[in-house]
Amino acid sequence: MRKTVKKFIEGNVAMVEGAIAAGARFYAGYPISPSSEIAETASKELPKHGGMYVQMEDELSSMATLLGASLAGKKSFTATSGPGFSLMQENLGLGVMSEIPAVIYDVQRCGPSTGAATKPAQGDLMQARWGTHGDHGIIALSPSSAQDCFDLSITAFNLSEKYRTPVVFLADEVIGHLRETVVIRQPDPSEIINRRQPDPDTKPENFRPYDFSGNTPAPMPFIGDKKFLMRTTGSTHNEKGAFCPTPDNINRVTNYLTNKIEKNADAIVITREYHLEDADEVIITFGCCVRSAMTAVDRLRQKGIKAGLLQLVTIWPMAEKKIRSVLSSVHRVIIPEMNLGQLANEIRKFNDYGCKIIQVNRNDGILITPQQIIDGLEAK
Amino acid sequence: MKKEIVLSGVGGQGLISTGEIIGQAASIFEGLNATMTASYGSETRGTFTKTDVIVSDKQIGYPNVEVPDLILCLAQVAYDKYLPLFRDDTLIVYDTDEVKKADFSKGQHIGYPFRSMGIELGNIQTANTIALGVMMKHTGLLTKENILSAIASRFAGKEKAIAMNSKALEKGFEL
Repeated sequence: MRKTVKKFIEGNVAMVEGAIAAGARFYAGYPISPSSEIAETASKELPKHGGMYVQMEDELSSMATLLGASLAGKKSFTATSGPGFSLMQENLGLGVMSEIPAVIYDVQRCGPSTGAATKPAQGDLMQARWGTHGDHGIIALSPSSAQDCFDLSITAFNLSEKYRTPVVFLADEVIGHLRETVVIRQPDPSEIINRRQPDPDTKPENFRPYDFSGNTPAPMPFIGDKKFLMRTTGSTHNEKGAFCPTPDNINRVTNYLTNKIEKNADAIVITREYHLEDADEVIITFGCCVRSAMTAVDRLRQKGIKAGLLQLVTIWPMAEKKIRSVLSSVHRVIIPEMNLGQLANEIRKFNDYGCKIIQVNRNDGILITPQQIIDGLEAK
Repeated sequence: MKKEIVLSGVGGQGLISTGEIIGQAASIFEGLNATMTASYGSETRGTFTKTDVIVSDKQIGYPNVEVPDLILCLAQVAYDKYLPLFRDDTLIVYDTDEVKKADFSKGQHIGYPFRSMGIELGNIQTANTIALGVMMKHTGLLTKENILSAIASRFAGKEKAIAMNSKALEKGFEL
């Protein structure tokens, strides 16, 4: 049992501490800036906890190995950045289709392609959502502090196990390399979710490793379980995990894969508010831009302007209800993000209220400043 | 209370390590809030690098330095870059071996030959820690005891590095 300690560490290191606290014991990956400290820390720390670190030859095999380890029963994670995340998309889809828990840390940098390897961006919002093909739901979390990197890692693994799905931890270079005080604690066992196992009284012949009837995944025994047969496939399958490409079944499975996330959005979505309750001017943002936004809110309030912030901690599924409640109650919102409007475009989909959307974008590898947000508001 | 500190120089001068020591001393041992960000290129040595450290008794939002209160310059390229940001109350600590002070510039300048002093102390790698001692003595931001604790924690398990950096810090406080 580890005791609670306070450390001054960077977000990337806190992510590994959080993953281990969540029970993760397997890492497969290929180091890439600005996520490499995750691989480095995982290689040092996992063996101390009875875990395993494997350096793979590329990101395709990393993602495949991750899924294999998870099927075998270990909570597993990898870390990458934009270019590596692109390479993982095919097997991310396999994880979605065969409902395999895993956590993928994407520490975003400037793209496309190799881009600017050491500079921050938030351009993978849509890659996290739609990078792999076909209809499906996905969960993505975005930290705004080094403490978040620890705490939300536990959340990410819990969601992954609960909903039997890969979860994307959508960090960025600013937060990954931001050193801050982090309280590292051993969570109470009641805080940790492990994948549901079959009822031991179930007869093996009656067990089904998939259930498309509702929005809750079936229990998931480990591959090689002595009693229950666990089949896995990327092809459209029935409850037994057998290939079943009938029109009805294809329809049923893709709807289920979407609904098990989207219909559970109320339970999954996390938002935070900063002076939002009486705000006339509202900033909506995520990740590193939250830090600039908080300072902007403080400065605007000092000038007598009632500014507030809605932070999207879960990027996917979108916090639709909360966003709608903001859009319907103010005349305009300002959306700073380190891309050319990927979040703003999602928020527009909910704007049935004529709320003015002001974008503040930056894609030059420099964190948006508080002043830019203030200028965006004052420019009207 | 909020202090914005820039540690600047070229890669390989130990500025990240100095930033970690300040951050650790402030956040773990003084109970303040601290953030640290670093800007770096793809190269590890020889090009301009800077580390921003913010120490505050309140929550820190935007983590990059906007108006520096204290600037350490261990290379000319760093000094020249920050010169336009100097205000009357900026404290500039610089290495006289490496940096030629501008004839007309704002701010209070404190210069010592940190590089030579590090070599004299037995390790050129301690120049940054001597400078840290000078910075903390002149600002009173952190106590010597808490910085020593942070050094012991930063270099845990490396007795020689702890002894060398502790000695360098003492040296800086004596200047």
